Amino acid sequence: MTSTVPAPRAAADRPKGGPEGDGAPVFSVRNLWKVFGPKPERVPGGPLAELPADELRREAGCTVAVRDVSFDVRQGEVFVVMGLSGSGKSTLVRCLTRLIEPTSGEIAIDGEDVCGMDRGRLRDLRRHRAAMVFQHFGLLPHRTVLDNVAYGLEIQGVGKAERRAKAHEIVAKVGLAGLESRRPGQLSGGQQQRVGLARALASDPEVLLFDEPFSALDPLIRRDMQEEVVRLHRDEGRTMVFITHDLSEALRVGDRIALMRDGRVVQCGTPEEIVGSPADDYVRDFVRDVPREQVLTVRRAMRPVAKTDAKDGATLAPDTTVSDAIEAVARSGGPVRVVDEGRCVGVIDYECLLGVVAGLDRGEVAAA
Amino acid sequence: MSVATPTAPEAAPAPALRTALRHPAVRKLLLLAVLAAILVPIVNAKWASGSWPHALTVDASGPLGKASDWIIDNRDSHWLFLYFFGHISNAIVISVRAVYLVLLALGWAGVTAAATLVAWRVAGVRIAVTALVSFAVTGLLDMWVPGMQTLALMVVAVLASVVIGGLLGLAGGLSDRTFRMLRPVLDTMQVLPAFAYLLPVVMVFGIGVPSAVIATVIYAAPPMARLTALGLRGADKGVLEAVESLGATGRQRLLSARLPLARKELLLGLNQTIMMALSMAVIASMIGAAGLGDRVYQALSAVDVGAALAAGIPIVLLAIVMDRTTGAAGERMGAEPSGPKWLRSKAAWAGVAVVTAAVAVAGRLAGSQVWPASWTVAIAAPVNDAKNWMVDHLYSGVPVVGGTNDWAGHFTTWVLDPIRDGLQDAPWWGVLLVVAALAWLIGTWATALTSVLAMAAIGVLGLWQPSMDTLSQVLAALVVTLVVGFAVGIAAARSRRLEAVLRPVLDVFQTMPQFVYLIPVVALFSVGRAPGVAAAVIYALPAVIRITTQGIKQVDPSAMESARSLGATSGQQLRQVQLPLARPALLLAANQGVVLVLAVVTIAALVGSGALGYDVVTGLAKGDLATGLPAGVAIVCLGLMLDRVTQPTARRARKGA
Repeated sequence: MTSTVPAPRAAADRPKGGPEGDGAPVFSVRNLWKVFGPKPERVPGGPLAELPADELRREAGCTVAVRDVSFDVRQGEVFVVMGLSGSGKSTLVRCLTRLIEPTSGEIAIDGEDVCGMDRGRLRDLRRHRAAMVFQHFGLLPHRTVLDNVAYGLEIQGVGKAERRAKAHEIVAKVGLAGLESRRPGQLSGGQQQRVGLARALASDPEVLLFDEPFSALDPLIRRDMQEEVVRLHRDEGRTMVFITHDLSEALRVGDRIALMRDGRVVQCGTPEEIVGSPADDYVRDFVRDVPREQVLTVRRAMRPVAKTDAKDGATLAPDTTVSDAIEAVARSGGPVRVVDEGRCVGVIDYECLLGVVAGLDRGEVAAA
Repeated sequence: MSVATPTAPEAAPAPALRTALRHPAVRKLLLLAVLAAILVPIVNAKWASGSWPHALTVDASGPLGKASDWIIDNRDSHWLFLYFFGHISNAIVISVRAVYLVLLALGWAGVTAAATLVAWRVAGVRIAVTALVSFAVTGLLDMWVPGMQTLALMVVAVLASVVIGGLLGLAGGLSDRTFRMLRPVLDTMQVLPAFAYLLPVVMVFGIGVPSAVIATVIYAAPPMARLTALGLRGADKGVLEAVESLGATGRQRLLSARLPLARKELLLGLNQTIMMALSMAVIASMIGAAGLGDRVYQALSAVDVGAALAAGIPIVLLAIVMDRTTGAAGERMGAEPSGPKWLRSKAAWAGVAVVTAAVAVAGRLAGSQVWPASWTVAIAAPVNDAKNWMVDHLYSGVPVVGGTNDWAGHFTTWVLDPIRDGLQDAPWWGVLLVVAALAWLIGTWATALTSVLAMAAIGVLGLWQPSMDTLSQVLAALVVTLVVGFAVGIAAARSRRLEAVLRPVLDVFQTMPQFVYLIPVVALFSVGRAPGVAAAVIYALPAVIRITTQGIKQVDPSAMESARSLGATSGQQLRQVQLPLARPALLLAANQGVVLVLAVVTIAALVGSGALGYDVVTGLAKGDLATGLPAGVAIVCLGLMLDRVTQPTARRARKGA
């Protein structure tokens, strides 16, 4: 599994206003709680909140699914929420459009309060601004592929001719051309999820929400679909919130990753930050098997320029992955300069690279 | 109740007792025994045992007679009748009349064409041919007019049942609270014999078409309501969530997702409703529904088997056509549409209408509205000749085997009479105790309490003796049904060939209305209790066989495989793997068997089986509510008790899921 972990997407892939961009947050979540059980509103912030899960269930009959979570999803990025099953990630994404009503906390989309929306505005949000792709597809079995894709538009009251034309276009975009008149039951899992994706895209939403969209698919098809999502994101730059329990998937599609455990976000950062500087032992354990050279970049691996270094020869960009840098260094036969916008910011040599592969920088980073 | 063996060494009884006590059944029985030990002497001292004590009965005939008189006096004057029941009654009469006139206007040619084309459009060529043949046979047997009368009543009753049942189901499907209130009522209504519904309706609406339609609707609407609610509730949660996430309004969600997702259940509900409506529409001939059922009823009263058969055959054919057509529609749902494209399109419906109209006009021009009299075949006389031959040659005195009538006599003398006398002579509290013990062992204390209360209600109504008579017939029929049913069911589960032979037979038998079963048994066994039991056995057998076969065949194949791999013989596989694992199915079969048997045993009063059914029949015939209504209530109580006693808790739990 770990050998399939891909390089994080190269900088060229990322649309403008990416993780380092200055785009305003699309979704802004503050102190979000979701508690299931009787009288859930007494839990957040109270003494009950401190109890361990099983004790809380015994005492109050409540289960905390999302615990005091805050994060921002920036314009145009792929924000991955990842965690094992039961960590509350699926509940979290459903809270964003109030498919599950949050217990407390604030959610804002483009600065507009989601929790305060009335039914009409909420419906509007779901229809036009945030569309969701589900793990088990949620397709209507009695409708054709085309009608499933057009369903969202139908609900919005778009005329038949218009929505069918739009649906045709989207069906072609997700690679299902020719299957328009099939029923979901006649499609493979991957094809069904393409229909689910097309349905979400049809209403041209600002944000796409993915709830473990590829977990039910075979590994090979899963990879195809992941690439499809990356391609879509590269082409359109749409903001995405992506839920997964699969670390390699998170690293493959994510600009930033929030790692959840027991309802809490334990770390939130770029793939490189998660892999390079795990916040605690849980995260470290989680990312232990990741081939680091494929995730970490030379920016993290390089050493400062020394007087003895050559002033010419091959150069590398700072966000080249270590595994690419190994190749370049091996070819050049000596240290290679790291150049950012024409300025030499550091040097990378065998020692730095081997340090990353051997994991020698781990202790140092943890101490930092 | 002693559980420890007396010969065991002194130390042994205690652990043995403890292990036995750990078994919940033993604990329940022990508790019941203690309870009985305290209560029985008191009860015995106060009222004596034997039949239900007279001191504990309530004579309902006085108040009921008064109520009945009041209704008769006020039917034309009181506002309740004038402005409520009167309107309902009129609306029913008018609608049935209107449908009947439409059917007459279409003429035999038009009706046959419409039925055939609709069957073709919905269910394919084979069913279409069946429909064509069935309607032709109805005409040939000179049953066209009664057939159309039954059809008209059916159309109105089914439409009303679908609307009422659908709305109730919708309410139950969308609201949890409604569902919780509705479900026990619907579950109970489904186990009650058709006979129980007749009298209360007659009390309000009098004998006539309105009563027949209303009784039919009451009987036929529950399956629609039940399946609609279950279908709506069983919809894929993931799909509903996806629909919600797209911003659908409540209405959009219902119309575009929930109802279409429940289409299979809705069609199954329609199918069951139609079948139950037909069954009841036939029985409702006793309360004034003209048509095929009435012909059977009249013929049976005169023990005219030939005439009964002539009316019975169209009923069976009608049932088969309706069942196969709606059933096929349900099966096709969700599957890929098949058949030629022009037949699938919506335009095909217009085609059906146009062709029907054309055929109807052509038929009218040819001048035959009603089936031409010259095209009929009178089968009554030859059938009666055959029956008379049977009476002469097979009824008795056949060497070695004896005759059918002798069998019936022996069965009555050696089986029915002893059971009845035993039940009637048994102390009433003993019967209650046995009922309580059985219900508690199979179900929960709540089912035990319901069963005991139901039995007590029978006693209070003063109908203990006839109820014991009915119960004896039910028990005899049930034993025969279960023995034969389990044997055949197990055989069919083990032999593919036998199952293939049985399947079409069971299909036909399961679609036939209860009433029809009385015809052949009268031919074979004349009248009395034995033919009633025979009809009940024949009616209940298909369901028992089918459930048994399915239950055994659905046993986890990996369990069977491991048994085989351990070298179990075929008998060992059956005894040690299949039967234990199929236990829930066998219990369900017993439950179904008892419900079906009771339904027919009560109707068999029409062929002289007496007991509770007889009270209902005479009550209806004489318009004597004081006799009929308590008997109807007693049937309901008996039905409740028998259902609860045989209803395993597991079944309830599964339904709740």
